Amino acid sequence: MSKARSYAWLAWRAVVPHPLRALRRRGTGEERFLASYATEGLAPTSLEARADAEAASGCISCGLCESACTLRGAIPAIRSLGLHAAFRLCGKSDEMLAHAATELSACATCTGCEPLCPTGVPITRLVRALAARAAALDAARRDNPTQDR
Amino acid sequence: MAPATRIECDVLVVGGGMAGATAALAAREAGARVVMARKSPGSTGLSGGAVSVAQDPACMPDAPFAARSGVVESARRIAATRPGHPYQLLRDRLDRLWNAVEFATGQFSSVLAPPTGRNRWLLTPFGHAHPAAACQRTMAAGDLAEVRGTLLVCGFEGHLGWDPGLVASGAVRVEPLGGPRPRAVLLDLFRWEEGALGKPFDLARLLEAPGAAEEAGKVLKRVLVRGDAAAVLPPVLGIDPAARVQERIAAEAGIPVAEFLSDLPSVPGLRMHRAIEARLAAAGVEVLGGEVRGGAGPDLPAAVGGREVVARSWVLASGRFVGGGIERRGELREAVLGLPVQASEGPFADPSIRFAARPSATLTLADSRAPQALLAAGLRVDGDLHPLDAEGRVVHPRVFAAGAVVGGHDPASDGTGMGVAIFTGWLAGRAAAGRGA
Repeated sequence: MSKARSYAWLAWRAVVPHPLRALRRRGTGEERFLASYATEGLAPTSLEARADAEAASGCISCGLCESACTLRGAIPAIRSLGLHAAFRLCGKSDEMLAHAATELSACATCTGCEPLCPTGVPITRLVRALAARAAALDAARRDNPTQDR
Repeated sequence: MAPATRIECDVLVVGGGMAGATAALAAREAGARVVMARKSPGSTGLSGGAVSVAQDPACMPDAPFAARSGVVESARRIAATRPGHPYQLLRDRLDRLWNAVEFATGQFSSVLAPPTGRNRWLLTPFGHAHPAAACQRTMAAGDLAEVRGTLLVCGFEGHLGWDPGLVASGAVRVEPLGGPRPRAVLLDLFRWEEGALGKPFDLARLLEAPGAAEEAGKVLKRVLVRGDAAAVLPPVLGIDPAARVQERIAAEAGIPVAEFLSDLPSVPGLRMHRAIEARLAAAGVEVLGGEVRGGAGPDLPAAVGGREVVARSWVLASGRFVGGGIERRGELREAVLGLPVQASEGPFADPSIRFAARPSATLTLADSRAPQALLAAGLRVDGDLHPLDAEGRVVHPRVFAAGAVVGGHDPASDGTGMGVAIFTGWLAGRAAAGRGA
């Protein structure tokens, strides 16, 4: 008897409240996804982000790029764990990205590091994409301060 | 595409590492008009400073001095014992191997010391002695077979990068076999606020400054004792050879000074990279940045970095996994022309096995000394360096392959990587320019 009642409840939910709620939805799918999950450090993966992550996976951590980085010479804080570790964050959660936001925004995208990369990682493109992601994450947090931890 | 961007040339070299650079310069020497297309400098910037051509296969790792045979003789022994190795495929032409080595060391003589015909034994940062047919000029004085007396192995006080005790242990092993007695010391240099984390290229630039190398020489002189015959220092003795950091330190200290081999990031690798750039420019090789797209081979237009290149011959010197010449898109394949990738050693050497489509976990073995099919994967070529298709036919009479894209050897570990790059690059460059070897 209780089984029949459960099925009836599910059927009613599927036919009445669920379609009604779909009518009330605001914004694009991506915006709704961000509203729900951005504060948890989860961002939807776009095709570009996937291509970026694949390009970033070419990094073999050799450190040659740093030798041509003028920013690194100028700002000691970027010395040991900075810009050229940051693009390895491509495949990581946005939670980690927030910690690299300063270095990412400091990059002048001069492309001096790129000709040295043995595997041809498009470092400047990745730094730009990561900086944009960090900024978007920051904006989403400010829009949803109550959900911030 | 606008006609102004079209380039017609004799030889298109795909790849700008040691193999591609040697091929381009050899073709240039033969009078060809050469264009090089490259997307990145490849693994040459990772070089530790040694040019390994061949080590006697009968030589045990712990008894390097037992091998006294010359480099070419060692290559012949490899050819006799390693089926599928490029030296074996080119065994009838190994008498020209030394011409190729002398050609390459001559082209890059700003950083490479003249080879002697036998291997020099150089210390690695990890406590080994490594054989090298040629090495950078800054390293030649550290040859364990030549130093008599005590070899001073230096590190930097307070710096985390190198452990002179570990480096010296590589010399301890060969001391009973006629090598020098090592003595590890720490030099009191580079004690600034963040000195412990200074990267090798930072230290190299500091030493290039006026007076800095002389100061280092004075510090070194203070730790010398009677019987010290030579000193090896971490590989940071300047990026620019014109700064003559090594010579300035040696002059001040009064003994021969050398670098030991480098790990990453590598100052000798940067030096090599710059030397290749400078030589290509001086020789008149046109270098285009970018991947080769839409190229189907010789006489057909290929798009490279916004230009259209039509070449009479092609040399594929696109590297392996680091350089991107061999990639995995569902299965292993050659990246530029889509040629089949084959294994030439291990259990997959049988060409009837479709090696390239197997999952990569099945292509390596847990035994680190066993042949690793994945690490030796690459193009199969004939004795003229023409790549072969799956049926074993020549793909095109004017397409040649050189360097790590050619399979059958493991450039990272079998001690023939640079030798194969130089030899196949030299042969392929000359053949592509229409000059037989």
